[in-house]
Amino acid sequence: MRLLPTLLSLLGCLSTTTLAAGAGASGNSKSSTNLRKLPPTERFNLYHGKATASSSAAPLKLLETDYRALVATPRDYSVAVLLTAMDSRYGCQLCREFQPEWELLARSWTNGDRKGEGRVVFGTLDFNDGRDVFMGFGLQTAPVLFFFPPTIGPHAVVPPEPLRYDFTGGAQAAEVVHHWLARQLPDRPHPPVKRPINWMRWISTFVILSGGATASYVAWPWVLPVVRNRTVWAAVTLIAILLFTSGHMFNRIRQVPYVAGDGRGGISYFAKGFQTQYGLETQIVAAIYGVLTLSGITLAIKVPRIADPKSQTVAFLAWWGILFVVYSLLISIFRTKSPGYGFALPPFM
Amino acid sequence: MSAADPLQVIASAGKGESTRSVLRVIILALIAGAAVSSRLFSVIRFESIIHEFDPWFNFRATKYLVANGFYNFWDWFDDRTWHPLGRVTGGTLYPGLMVTSGVIYHALRALTIPVDIRNICVLLAPGFSGLTAIAAYLLTNEMTPSPSAGLLAALFMGIAPGYISRSVAGSYDNEAIAIFLLVFTFYLWIKALKQGSMLWGALCALFYGYMVASWGGYAFITCLLPLHSFVLICMGRYSTRLYVAYTTWYALGTLASMQIPFVGFLPVKTSEHMPALGIFGFLQLLAFLDYVRSAIPSRQFQTFLWLFAGTAFGVGLLGLVIATSMGFIAPWSGRFYSLWDTGYAKIHIPIIASVSEHQPTAWPAFFFDLQMLIWLFPVGVYLLFQELADEHVFIVVYALFGSYFAGVMVRLMLTLTPVVCVAAAIAMSNLLDTYLTTKSPAAPDALSDKDADGKKAGKAGLKSTSKPVVGIYASWAKSVIVSSFAVYLLLFVLHCTWVTSNAYSSPSVVLASRLPDGSQHIIDDYREAYQWLRQNTREDAKIMSWWDYGYQIGGMADRPTLVDNNTWNNTHIATVGKAMASSEEASYPIMRQHEVDYVLVVFGGLLGYSGDDINKFLWMVRIAEGIWPDEVKERAFFTPRGEYRVDGEATETMKNSLMYKMSYYNYQNLFPPGQAVDRMRGVRLPEVGPQLSHLEEAFTSENWIIRIYKVKDLDNLGRDHASAVAFDRGIKKKKPVKKKGPRVLRVE
Repeated sequence: MRLLPTLLSLLGCLSTTTLAAGAGASGNSKSSTNLRKLPPTERFNLYHGKATASSSAAPLKLLETDYRALVATPRDYSVAVLLTAMDSRYGCQLCREFQPEWELLARSWTNGDRKGEGRVVFGTLDFNDGRDVFMGFGLQTAPVLFFFPPTIGPHAVVPPEPLRYDFTGGAQAAEVVHHWLARQLPDRPHPPVKRPINWMRWISTFVILSGGATASYVAWPWVLPVVRNRTVWAAVTLIAILLFTSGHMFNRIRQVPYVAGDGRGGISYFAKGFQTQYGLETQIVAAIYGVLTLSGITLAIKVPRIADPKSQTVAFLAWWGILFVVYSLLISIFRTKSPGYGFALPPFM
Repeated sequence: MSAADPLQVIASAGKGESTRSVLRVIILALIAGAAVSSRLFSVIRFESIIHEFDPWFNFRATKYLVANGFYNFWDWFDDRTWHPLGRVTGGTLYPGLMVTSGVIYHALRALTIPVDIRNICVLLAPGFSGLTAIAAYLLTNEMTPSPSAGLLAALFMGIAPGYISRSVAGSYDNEAIAIFLLVFTFYLWIKALKQGSMLWGALCALFYGYMVASWGGYAFITCLLPLHSFVLICMGRYSTRLYVAYTTWYALGTLASMQIPFVGFLPVKTSEHMPALGIFGFLQLLAFLDYVRSAIPSRQFQTFLWLFAGTAFGVGLLGLVIATSMGFIAPWSGRFYSLWDTGYAKIHIPIIASVSEHQPTAWPAFFFDLQMLIWLFPVGVYLLFQELADEHVFIVVYALFGSYFAGVMVRLMLTLTPVVCVAAAIAMSNLLDTYLTTKSPAAPDALSDKDADGKKAGKAGLKSTSKPVVGIYASWAKSVIVSSFAVYLLLFVLHCTWVTSNAYSSPSVVLASRLPDGSQHIIDDYREAYQWLRQNTREDAKIMSWWDYGYQIGGMADRPTLVDNNTWNNTHIATVGKAMASSEEASYPIMRQHEVDYVLVVFGGLLGYSGDDINKFLWMVRIAEGIWPDEVKERAFFTPRGEYRVDGEATETMKNSLMYKMSYYNYQNLFPPGQAVDRMRGVRLPEVGPQLSHLEEAFTSENWIIRIYKVKDLDNLGRDHASAVAFDRGIKKKKPVKKKGPRVLRVE
């Protein structure tokens, strides 16, 4: 997901585009050097002006030339650049997850500081636009957030190396990154992250709720017997208990894979080890528990209520056989999970 | 019925009521004995010793209580932990456990039985497990008319590994008595609810107060009883019995719980106590409405009801909003919150996520701890749906929530086990009652009026019980069921004994291993090291170690520590984490500031011991990073390829960290050059080991599990430690040497 070895291998297959990009870069080189030669204050005003031109302009979508101009020294402003790979070819899930948060952060910061007192420029550089920048940093993964502190002026930082924010903990919320940025920018305004009101969500919640209310009102005469039905409640309770005792919450919390390969091209249904499990494994176990429970219930309640001796005997034999075999199976499955376990029942010895 | 029938003679032997009572008492006593004795493995194998980590603190506190009396204990300020902060111990612990042991100790003394307080502490948990079995018997008897169910429940409770895991001899922890109190409080609650009795309600509150004094898990009762009441109300089963039982319990129980300094005003402030308060208010409203309905005509009552409900709801909501925004009601506490939003702890509270007991439960753990009970449990719950009286609703609600919480947190298997035992016992006894009888139905046609004890299936009952009970015709079928379940029960007993013996009876202070010839070899490094500290260091020498070992150092070595298992101050723990994760130069000032004399690390590389500090190291880094994100970075401990390595490929930050250096210092000298191997992580270490300059090795235990380093004092000559060490090693500082002239012999 995050590792992009494909990113670099793609470089090879895209040599033609690289050539084209190279040509483009050389064509732009003139304007880029011009931009770079501008005094830092003007550069800041130029890009800050662009960012505040409309309320959704930040973060600036940078080309490599813009990037080089922005981070050129000396600079009396700070730059926060997200190096990302949004193209679907790279399959960078994390980039896509973080992008809206990043835009939210940049927008609320830039719009909260329209006068540019904090002197921060937010930009996004995509891998497609700035391959050489990625190469220059030797980046293997994306996204990476770089923060370039000012090199001159009252807030100048020595050494002027950019600070790097790694997304080791997954895609972070805008507030977390805001906190990190604010730490790098002491004594300057930190416009807070303003989450826009999610109208769509409110409306859809309202519609669903009112629809549900109407539906339940209309269907009340039919719903009521179901709600009052003890068998339904018993079934719901038992299913919930079986889910919880078969390790469903572990799957939710740890996000375990559903199944995994066994390394020889086959499928391994049961995870090796006592502390791990797969999604399918818990379903199998839940089904086994379910069958055992069902046979227990049948033997305890149903079988003694069968009036006909013959069918009672048949039902008894069937359910007892199921109980016997499945319990033995359960123990044998547990033996594979816990190798030191020495107990077994026939037939799965 | 002929008197000569031998079966009848045998069956009638236990028929008399008094005979049965005597038998029941004997059986219960035997079960309690079995429960106690199955927990004694560790005492027999090792010795009468306190286990693990937390029990060492409880033991130390108990000793203090016994030595200084109750009031001193209540005001105890402990300056030997959390140096230099100290800890107001009397106000920050649950005193129930220590007071219980203290009372037993003084009672035995009064009876002129000379007994060591340590032995009371070691044997407290097994003793209380016997009581738990009896409490389970009482609780189950409230659920079902079958007398055998209670005995089965007591048996299951006595030997189920899910409970044994926290109650073996030496496991002197709060849970040791808390589970008994939990089950017994539930029993009293059911009794109070069934009879609508204020006396039982008050007793329930009393034991609830005892529970609050003993274990933080009391919140489980605080939430379960209101929930049960709420479900009953929703089912339209409001009654004066419920009103009396609940209000008595809530009023007295809350007052009782507020007497514990550690709990204080939490019951009226925090959100986890709010359901109980809310249901209390709700019951008052219902009682009021009930009264009004009996007093005024029904049409006016309708109007009144609507107005009243609307006003009450509005006022309640407004009050809640105001109280929350004014900060009277605290938000959910972190530990509790992590039960609902399961991702919360991982992101926000690394210290909670780092504890292995707080991890979710995989399915093998359920089977391991409950074996066949795990599938008998739903059967029992289903059987309770047949009748579904008020008390059965309790078991159903408890079963649902207990299994949810047990799934989220391994440790809460403990609260699930009682309900599993009760429900499974009901299922098992139902099966046995059906099949373990010599009576067979005579003929298929004359049965409609024959079922004497057949349950009358009402309209609201289960679909599966709509037909009358006939009984089992074939006696071979009965014997098949009885014998197969006898085998299952035997297997269960074997399983429980095996699990107890193999998994739960290790004191973890003393490790047992097997030599190649099969004989047992005891690894006693911990005690060796703590004994060394006790004998070779000043009495007020401060020991820095990761918090896991704080209680043990305090209990066994009797030396002040910086942090311990009472993780109340995250910053202080992070300070220790930072000292461990930083380079020597950076951590030396931290250690000087905290007056650290010795640093203790646990190293499992030689023995392949997995619970060592290098394996826990990332948590130290994470916790430190939470406070000082600029100075400690988790990323820097991973190689560029994202691996956590300790060999030659380890990152520079890793190799320079104090923890790494202390763990591997001199380790390569045990091996031929270039062959040093870390057996835990299975990697080859670099030929040149780390060098220490600010610390010196003071002690290393026999198997290198514990290593203790002395923090050097400031250099006598005012040099920094690195150059002093370099000087001692004979590395000359390059300094321009002044040429002296030839020596001149002075002649006078």
